[in-house]
Amino acid sequence: MSLFGTNTGFGSGGTGVFGNTTTDSHNPMKDVEVTSPPDDSISCLAFSPPTMPGNFLIGGSWANDVRCWEVQDNGQTVPKAQQMHTGPVLDVCWSDDGSKVFTASCDKTAKMWDLNSNQTIQIAQHEGPIRTIHWIKAPNYSCVMTGSWDKTLKFWDTRSPNPMMSLQMPERCYCADVVYPMAVVATAERGLIVYQLENQPSEFRRIESPLKHQHRCVAIFKDKQSKPTGFALGSIEGRVAIHYINPPNPAKDNFTFKCHRSNGTNTATPQDIYAVNAISFHPVHGTLATVGSDGRFSFWDKDARTKLKTSEQLDQPITACCFNNNGNIFAYASSYDWSKGHEYYNPQKKNYIFLRNAAEELKPRNKKW
Amino acid sequence: MGRKKKKQLKPWCWYCNRDFDDEKILIQHQKAKHFKCHICHKKLYTGPGLAIHCMQVHKETIDGVPNAIPGRIDIELEIYGMEGIPEKDMEERRRVLEQKTQDNQKKKQQDDSDEDDDDEEAGPSFQQPATAVQPQAAYAPMTQPGMTPVPVPGMPPGSYSGMPPMMPGIPPMMPGMPPVMPGMPPGMMQMRGMMPPAHGMPPMMPGMPPGIPPPMGHHPGIPHMAQAPPSSTRPAVPATTVPMPQPSVSKPLFPSAGQVQQAGSGVAVSSSAPTSAAPKPTFPAYTQSSATAAANSSSTVAKPGTPVTSKPATLTTTSATSKLIHPDEDISLEELRAQLPRYQCKVPSAGQAHVTSPPVAPMGGVLPHQQGIPAQQPGVRHPMQGPYGAPPQGVPGYVPGGMPPYGQAPPMVPSYQAAPPRPALGMRPPVMSPGGRY
Repeated sequence: MSLFGTNTGFGSGGTGVFGNTTTDSHNPMKDVEVTSPPDDSISCLAFSPPTMPGNFLIGGSWANDVRCWEVQDNGQTVPKAQQMHTGPVLDVCWSDDGSKVFTASCDKTAKMWDLNSNQTIQIAQHEGPIRTIHWIKAPNYSCVMTGSWDKTLKFWDTRSPNPMMSLQMPERCYCADVVYPMAVVATAERGLIVYQLENQPSEFRRIESPLKHQHRCVAIFKDKQSKPTGFALGSIEGRVAIHYINPPNPAKDNFTFKCHRSNGTNTATPQDIYAVNAISFHPVHGTLATVGSDGRFSFWDKDARTKLKTSEQLDQPITACCFNNNGNIFAYASSYDWSKGHEYYNPQKKNYIFLRNAAEELKPRNKKW
Repeated sequence: MGRKKKKQLKPWCWYCNRDFDDEKILIQHQKAKHFKCHICHKKLYTGPGLAIHCMQVHKETIDGVPNAIPGRIDIELEIYGMEGIPEKDMEERRRVLEQKTQDNQKKKQQDDSDEDDDDEEAGPSFQQPATAVQPQAAYAPMTQPGMTPVPVPGMPPGSYSGMPPMMPGIPPMMPGMPPVMPGMPPGMMQMRGMMPPAHGMPPMMPGMPPGIPPPMGHHPGIPHMAQAPPSSTRPAVPATTVPMPQPSVSKPLFPSAGQVQQAGSGVAVSSSAPTSAAPKPTFPAYTQSSATAAANSSSTVAKPGTPVTSKPATLTTTSATSKLIHPDEDISLEELRAQLPRYQCKVPSAGQAHVTSPPVAPMGGVLPHQQGIPAQQPGVRHPMQGPYGAPPQGVPGYVPGGMPPYGQAPPMVPSYQAAPPRPALGMRPPVMSPGGRY
């Protein structure tokens, strides 16, 4: 079954090594399982950019490792390589040419992994764990941006041990996203800062949070001309805010929606509200996917303001997700996110990464623009 | 809209006390929120209708109208839109409204932020496709498509190349942040819809400042922006808002840290600020825990927690109608997890010293450093450097000359022992060749 392309067949590829075609709740959506998943929770996923042929998936985990798989057209996943940090890996990203992978870890360092040589070198140092890492490719410079719990946002030329620039943030970095020339960082205490990256990175605006709870994930979206125009911000309270930077009418254009909550209108039992762990935008359709602690993923059309789909519930939270460069594959990771504290952590429980054909399900509901 | 003929100024929902512009929307709201079957999601027309449906189709009884405030959950009262509302509740509503209009004078601008949250409740929310948002959606596309093409002619994407000469010290501003900022600040503060001149322009378009005038011209009715009294915001400002002859206003609302660099190119007025400007006044429920929140018209919105006010270390995670599945500490899940001893950073082998050793968090103390990273904890895998490629010995392949590699001493352990039940994973080297393309 081809995983990609326009047909919707995404059967159990050829990767049923761990065998179970029965519907136990670890894979209720019957998606393709990636082989050799990490041994601890997966914190981040990233697909290779369009500049290189094929699809390569990078995943960082709490087992201190970063793994690389090749995802073939027939749905097979082939583990390719792995690197280690000395602390849990919290974020990964690719360089624009697909030759390097950048990894950020709790060990306060970030590394650059040259895939051709399979070598890594350290390229960044912070005073606290590095929570986010993004590659910035500007016409007049290129650098790596790291956001840390030490409340700084630093920019690194990979050839120098000292940062090119260091910006102070009001609080610890919790999540960030970059789509040149815009960067958004959400911090602790509901801080939200937009940076503009032209010429050199600088703080553009601090925004009062549209959400009332702790920020957890953020993703920038683009307009029809492929220019970044706003972002989606998720919190721990099962809610996502869609926020435009310069909307014609903020009151009407910006909005929030609830997601990842249990038992809709049943008033008998209290509603369980789960954190939104990650948000990803489809590179072609502009629709978005959210994954949450409830173990479900949902697809949304922010322009039609409708939900496109919600998955069945997995038996573990979904901690990370991403689309591949052409939007045909949606990858999501099923592992424990600590949302119920350490009591619910079972180190023996397997962690999974699933791949799903995303070509059809993410199509916008109707053309509003 | 609120036609006076309606029995109460604007239509409102008896079940949850929410206001609506139009009875049609009110009915849609009721069908989606109060008359929707929780089992099959079928939308009925009335409370009794829903009760009958559940009984006949699902053999289930329901004891109250879903999402209704306490006191208004009577399933037997036949209410449709504004029809069927008991007279005494009508009067009570009238009284409450009158009182609110007085209070509302001063809170008028914060009301706007209500819109935001209201959006996903009152209709324009993310519902199943069938009931997409009408009012909001209808509006947005009008403005946006109208906007974007406009400025483009003047601002070819490549225009940013013209920037550098302009700003030696001033980083190019996002569109709308033209360096000219007249002394409007105080007046502009409340301008909700104020958009920096280039609103509608592809937000990140550099080279804006010179281009400001052209876009300006496209906004009808803008000219007298300058006089629009600050507080009247919305009504006074035409939908397209903002741009006054002189671009923007420095936005004193936000912490000024960022302003410094923008020297002159200021920051756009809010746009987002007002939307959530005063969460506290309009969401009093947030500051209360539980029960009182239920009384608030914003039903489930206000429920969980009070993050705004509880700055200290904990969140309020439980309330009468909802429970936040999150540990009580108001720190991120990752921070909480990283405090555990098992996740403290291990010193890499081979005398690195480069990696900063102290554990991340205060908790847990420092683990004894291990050489060679043995798996001292369950679940920790051996650091596999990649059996795929020949474990690189000398490291620094990448760095051009000079730079001392940051100590990436590849932790040996070439053999992949750590793989418990991993039968024949395609881990075998065949695919990899050292130094070759992976």
